[in-house]
Parts: sequence; structure tokens; C-alpha cells
Amino acid sequence: MNLLPDTYRIQQRFSAYCRSGNAVKLPGVTPGRLKHYRRLVFNVINDIMEDGFPVAFHHIPARKWNKMVKDFFTHHACQSYQVWKLPLEFYTYAVEQNWEEVYGIPYLNDLLAFEWAETEVYNMEDIPAAPFQQGGNWLETPLVLNPEYRLLAFRYPVHLHGDATELVQGKGAWFVLLYRDPETGNVQFTDLSPWLAFVTEQLAVGITLKDILEYAPQLGITLTDTLERDTLAFLQQMQRQHFVLGFQS
Amino acid sequence: MVGVGFRRDFAADIISGKHITPDFIEFAPENWMHIGGNWKKILHQVVEKYPVLCHGLSLSVGSPEDLDRDFLRHVKQFLEDYRVQIYSEHLSYSKCDNAHMYDLLPIPFRMDAVRHIAARIRQVQDFLQRPLVMEIVSYYTPVAAEMSEADFIGEVVRQSGCQLLLDVNNIYVNAFNHQYNAREFIQQLPLDKVAYIHMAGHTQVSQDLIIDTHGEPVIDPVYDLFEWTIQYLKPVPVLLERDFNIPEMQELQQELNRLKTICQKQWTSQNELVA
Repeated sequence: MNLLPDTYRIQQRFSAYCRSGNAVKLPGVTPGRLKHYRRLVFNVINDIMEDGFPVAFHHIPARKWNKMVKDFFTHHACQSYQVWKLPLEFYTYAVEQNWEEVYGIPYLNDLLAFEWAETEVYNMEDIPAAPFQQGGNWLETPLVLNPEYRLLAFRYPVHLHGDATELVQGKGAWFVLLYRDPETGNVQFTDLSPWLAFVTEQLAVGITLKDILEYAPQLGITLTDTLERDTLAFLQQMQRQHFVLGFQS
Repeated sequence: MVGVGFRRDFAADIISGKHITPDFIEFAPENWMHIGGNWKKILHQVVEKYPVLCHGLSLSVGSPEDLDRDFLRHVKQFLEDYRVQIYSEHLSYSKCDNAHMYDLLPIPFRMDAVRHIAARIRQVQDFLQRPLVMEIVSYYTPVAAEMSEADFIGEVVRQSGCQLLLDVNNIYVNAFNHQYNAREFIQQLPLDKVAYIHMAGHTQVSQDLIIDTHGEPVIDPVYDLFEWTIQYLKPVPVLLERDFNIPEMQELQQELNRLKTICQKQWTSQNELVA
């Protein structure tokens, strides 16, 4: 290391000021100019979070939102060299700091997770699908699913409602499937029942629908013709929507 | 060659080439690495159509701490995959205490900082097996300077063997903000090391301060400084940067045309003299 401790400390103090905005004395600075760095740096972070969480930004009062972003940037050492991934760090920080309770927003974690998942699925690296064919037995042939997806479990229906009251009243067990349409590249999401979430999870690891249905009674679900018919209808619908790609070849 | 900074806001226009036809495009590798889906398709389309130069954001060559080797490995692969002709970065730091700041902070103009940065640039060049082209950044205040800016830059270039990216707008902004003569400053630089030029617009926020926003058209005094400067340079690629407040593509094309006209005027006459 060629850098002298004094220069090192000056660079640390400058960057700490940019992150926190807490007053700092640095040698040889032009009076009144330091604040522009804090403003510019903070605006970048603020913009990233606004773009990454448009719904949360819209619904959380400005005072709380600003406090969150300031807290995050001051105390969290941002690790991603790609700005589009920074919202994940914000979401993770919110969970670690228990912001749901701190800010009295019980659905905050779910909302941030949902918005991050949309960004992630849209941008994520391409994942090649397993070989598949168009024809097969829906019950006995393992299905090949679009691998570019996220299956999320929420306590609040953040994918269905934007209104805080509706969200709080809707507390329960919610499941959402997000996937990237291989033809358009757009992210689609669909609300799933707990059963269909379970089916999706099992299909993804190669279990056949027949085996999954046989397991239903162990989940307390009565195995009926309707269950089989509705599950098949869902999967066929998802094939038309490019989530079920075909049958294992 | 006169190119334009490739932005997602006008990706479709660049690919169609209907209203704007740059000679090359430039983008930040960080914004396009590890990306899939639609953006990857767009990246492939644009790379097939135009020569590509890359301008990095996160190397943070002026950081006090160690280089991010993992990041560098990804950059190297990306530059190779997309046959990137020039990789440039900023003579500043954007990471400290293991935290990215996503903006360019000024390095103290000091000899120990020169040695530190020069060593890091050499490491990067050795690893990438290509010269690094370092941009002279705009800054709004010096910090703990012990030498002049021109001496600092000259020493970094001399000790590292890097090339220079001359952002003419940055020089204009710095000269205005720190009250020095832009032409005198440029004459002090190792101009034989200039491998790339940037041009951009800025925003004056107070009587004595300009912020380098890339959100406005290039102003006439910056064009004048550009024309004056390039008479001392060998022909190099020139880039128009426009990051915010994006105008109609015809307007950007007019700026490209103006830059091209100046280049042809200065560099053609230079070649005639040589011949």
C-alpha cells in the first residue's frame, strides 16, 4: 500500500460524509462545496430505490421513506457493483432491521420482496430450460417448467392490492408465481392457492403430477376428481401462458 | 469516429438507426453484465450493429482498499465476449470502507495517492491485458491537495503507463468551478496519451458552480474548447454523452454531426500537413 494513513483517513472521512451527511472537517476544501457531493450521492441512491420500489415509494409517507433510505445508506455498506441489484440489499436491510415494526408497516417485507422479485426476474441471466417435447401424459410424464421464475409466499396480498387497509385486512397465506415470458421477456405473475403453490414446487423438482396428487391426503386435502381436473386445467392454462413448457423428453 | 452513449431510454432508436446513426456506441459494462431476457437481446442487437467502447463505473481505481478481483474477472470476460475496443474508467473513487457510493469522489492530489493509483492501474492493465484509459473527472472541490491537478494527472499517467480520456466538458466545468484557464490546463497534460474524448452538457446551479449533469446539450464554449483542443491531438474516438433529459433523436444527431464536422475540419487539415 502506497497510500499514507493521512490520505487514507481523508478519503474515509469524505466518503463517510457522503453516506451520512454528518458534518465533517476536511483540509483544503472549497467552502460550501462539500454539500453538493452529499446531495448528488444521496440522490443517486434515492433514485435507485424509487425506481426499484415504485409501489412502496408511492404508498409510504415521504418522511418515513426518506428516513429509511438515509438509514440504509448511512449504515449499510452497499456491496453490489451493479446498481440494479441494490434494491435487494435495501429489502434485506429492511428485514434485518425489522422495519415492519419500526415503521408500523406490517406488509413492508412482502411488498419489497414482490417488487424486488419483479426486477430480478426481468433482468436475471438466461437459464436454459431442460429438453422437452410438446406431447406427453399430464399425469405421468414429468413436466418441464420455465426455469426463469420465482415462487413467493406472502402474509399480505401485495400482488393484488395497493391500499394499506385492504392489505392489512387480507392477512393470510398468499402465494405468487412470477416468471419471465420466454417470448416477450416480460414478467407475468399469477396468484396461486396453497395447493397449486405446492404442485408448482414439486413439479419444478421433477415429481409427476400423479405422485403429487397421491400425496394430497397427507396435506389434509381430499383427493377428488375435481382436484385433479382443476389442477390439470391450471397447468394447461400455464402452458398457454409459457410457464409450463412441455413434457420431459 | 463520433459515437453516442448507449442508454436504455433510446435503445430502440439506436438499433433502428432511423433518426440517429452514431459511428460507435459506448456503455458501462456494469449495466449490462449478468443480464438476461429482453435487455440481453437488445445488447446483442446493438453490438452486432455498432463497434463498442466501454466506460466503467465501479472499478474505483482511487479507492484506498484493495481492487475487487472478482469484479475485474467479470469485466475481462465481458470485454472479450463483446469485442470491446476501448475500456475506460474514472480517475476518482466510488468505493470506500467496502461500500459502493455510485458516484465519483475526488482523490486528494498527493504524491502518495499518485503512487497508490498508478500501482492499481498497472495491476488492472496487467490483468486485463489492455491499456486502461483514465478519464479526468469533474470535481466540485479539491480535497487535501498537495500538488496541482495537472501535475497529479501527469504523474499518474507517467507512473502507470495508462492512456487518457479527455472529457472536454469536465475540463470546462473544472476550469469554471476552480477559476483556472482551461486551455492552459490542457496544454499541461500529456496530450500524446489521449486515446478518447468525451463531450457532454452540464448545468450551472449557481453563479460560481457548474454540475456535470450530462442532461443538457453541449454548449458553444465547450464546442470551442473541443475544436481548439483537438488540433493538438491525433485522431481519436469522440463520444457524445447524454444521460438525462433525453431529447428527440434528431437533436442528438445534430450534435453528432457538429462534432463530426469539427473533427473532419481539424483532423483532415492535420493529415494534409503531415502528408
